[in-house]
Amino acid sequence: MTANPTIFTFASPTDLILEIPTDTSYQVWQQSKVFSNPASRYQAYLNKLCFLAVLKWLQEDISPQTKPWPSTAALPSFWELVNGSTISVDRTRFVLVPSEAMDVSELRVAQEWVDIPSWAGDYYLAVQVEPDENYVRVWGYCTHELLKSKGSYDGCNRTYSLDATDMISDISILGVARQLCPEEPTRSAVAPLASLTPEQAQNLISRLGTSEIVTPRLEIPFQLWGALIEHGGWRQSLYQRRLGLPEQWSVLQWLKGGVLQLAEAIGWESFSIQPSAAGARSVKEIQHGTVFSRPLVIAGQSYELRITPISVGESTIWRFELRNAVVGAAVPGGFKLKLLTEDLQPFPNNEDIATIAVEQLFVEVALESGEGIVWTVEPLPENYDQEILKF
Amino acid sequence: MHPRKSIIEIFSTFLEFASHRLLGWAKDARLYRSMQNVIKQTPQEASENFWVKYWYSLLHDPEVGRLAQEHLIAYLQEPCYWAAQKTSVSFASNQYKLADFFQIAIAQVGKVFKGFNPNGDFVLKNYASTIFSSAIRETLRQRHEIDICTDWALLRKISQKRLVEALLGNGLSLDTMTAYVTAWNCFRSLYVPTSASNTRQLLQPDEQTWEAIAKAYNSQSQTPVNPQTLEIWLLNCAKAARTYLYPNFTSLNTPTGSEDTRNWLDNLPGHEQDSLLTQIIAEEEQQTRSTKQSEVKTVLEDAVAELDPLLREMLQLYYAQGLTQQQIAKQLQIQQYTVSRRLTKARESLLRSLAKWSQQKLHISVTSDILKSTSAVMEEWLQAYYNPSQGWSIGEQEDKGTR
Repeated sequence: MTANPTIFTFASPTDLILEIPTDTSYQVWQQSKVFSNPASRYQAYLNKLCFLAVLKWLQEDISPQTKPWPSTAALPSFWELVNGSTISVDRTRFVLVPSEAMDVSELRVAQEWVDIPSWAGDYYLAVQVEPDENYVRVWGYCTHELLKSKGSYDGCNRTYSLDATDMISDISILGVARQLCPEEPTRSAVAPLASLTPEQAQNLISRLGTSEIVTPRLEIPFQLWGALIEHGGWRQSLYQRRLGLPEQWSVLQWLKGGVLQLAEAIGWESFSIQPSAAGARSVKEIQHGTVFSRPLVIAGQSYELRITPISVGESTIWRFELRNAVVGAAVPGGFKLKLLTEDLQPFPNNEDIATIAVEQLFVEVALESGEGIVWTVEPLPENYDQEILKF
Repeated sequence: MHPRKSIIEIFSTFLEFASHRLLGWAKDARLYRSMQNVIKQTPQEASENFWVKYWYSLLHDPEVGRLAQEHLIAYLQEPCYWAAQKTSVSFASNQYKLADFFQIAIAQVGKVFKGFNPNGDFVLKNYASTIFSSAIRETLRQRHEIDICTDWALLRKISQKRLVEALLGNGLSLDTMTAYVTAWNCFRSLYVPTSASNTRQLLQPDEQTWEAIAKAYNSQSQTPVNPQTLEIWLLNCAKAARTYLYPNFTSLNTPTGSEDTRNWLDNLPGHEQDSLLTQIIAEEEQQTRSTKQSEVKTVLEDAVAELDPLLREMLQLYYAQGLTQQQIAKQLQIQQYTVSRRLTKARESLLRSLAKWSQQKLHISVTSDILKSTSAVMEEWLQAYYNPSQGWSIGEQEDKGTR
């Protein structure tokens, strides 16, 4: 045998072996400290290595239209709880399933990526991660449809597993299949999950929000668990609770001490507003002179979401605004800004629709103390992940 | 190695090695008689491929499946030998000889039988050869990795499927196995490497971790156990996973048929046998396969000619000279990762040509399943194209046997 065998000594041409640059793995390891326990940290480490290597390959060899789902900033809140991540390529969802296993005899996918409707993917890539040799090996893939029809479900660890012989082991088929048979169904139907009330969700978050529970995903029935973490706001909330962090999306806290760490990571910032920029309202009404804002990208264009507190007598009204990032440019007709309750229910006067191009869309709400609001925009912004803003 | 001449020999003899040296062909008397028997009942002369189909169609027969399998293993001795021979050019060492490669490969016949599609464009021999070649390399890779892993690292680096197979191979009862797998899952979720690399050198968990593993296990099990027991169980798991990759091969290439099969041969109702044989003969006659295969050949030759010269060179080095990707990188002075990605690209390009051709000329609507078998056909073709001398049949079916 060759004196110093590596993966390339043994590799067959149907495998795809991707590089993890040496300094990358060190950096990723250093960064992977924002997890509640060593097992989550290690899971996140492997996932990040897999994610970086596969993302680069997808971008360079499959399609430049490649986006992490829902956003790179949200990934730690997934990896704290479950193995795997998703990258969208054009309209196709690739679920990356990293594994330490060297024997490549099965693909084992966490149920979340199969049975949570908004998480399910089109293709599942089996990725062996080998940190000691700085490579990841994409050794096969399958569709959601195949995983559901031929895979077997293991109730003990809530995974679907598919035998390697039932998978497509030649990764060069993927590009050809996407090109020559785009109509081929990749998904099976997925049943909707239970719906939770905010009280139920808060109870579950309190119960699971401790780092002593290493695998919260196995602690409560899947119907409840799936419903809890499918909601981006509750998933983030569980994540921050497990890390022992204070509520990161409390706008009242932001008023007192500035935008908190996790919210800042996804783009929220605050700035003081000049009286002249306050528009029609008089200066007196701007309570703190503070505006919170985050950038949004919708259909390739930059916009801004703003939240401004306005004093009306004793109470405060919160103004949500969507405007073009370019001063003077408009929000196109057809756009909609909508506010929902924490459990995604509409309420009276909760939306503003641009029937023609307008300068801004806005909704003003009066909120009870502790109430949560989820904003959404149509068309959906890139990297959209539900967030619960607390007031 | 002398190729076998008669159909009877091809389906009833096995290669014999003695201390790594090839001795020659050994006849299995029972299989020999079985072949004599079936040939006697055939209405007309039949090709090698005919008998492949015949035995393949009986593979899942409750009574003669085992016998059919043994005949096919005999048949597959040659591709197995060539796959082993070719690998030994790059991989022979003090540790591994030709005979070892042969044994590793022949142990994969199950995979060959499962993946083979007798109705497609496959030639069993060629298909087996691609499986054998990749299986030898894959097994060597896993052995190499397993040899440098501590037991604790190994436990993290095997799949649940492999663990279960390894434990089943050790003859564990279902209850014990379930307990082991539960313990293993607890271990995996609680004990992880604490550094960015050196994960293969993972040391034994400390006392506190053992307590945590025991607590997790006991919360899931009716029968509580202590950390010491769990440690023994997990070490047993590691041991089983190691031996799984180093099985005792001696029995694999020497069939041990039972008396039942012999009885069956004598008692088979004549008409059933007749109809099966007639059916396969009819199928053979209808086949337009050889013209189609020569067209496939042209399509792929053209596609190869259109590839970037560097990609062509890589294919040549990999398939014809049997170089590893490591050696290719060295020879072409490019990165090893580049070799892997370029080879994938090259194969993707060939596959696309082939798939488009079958879409346009054969009016086949392409699906992932069809691409999966097309890819296997392509792999066979690449092997054959770059290795014309190694008994690969390409273009036309060989029709060598007579009784």
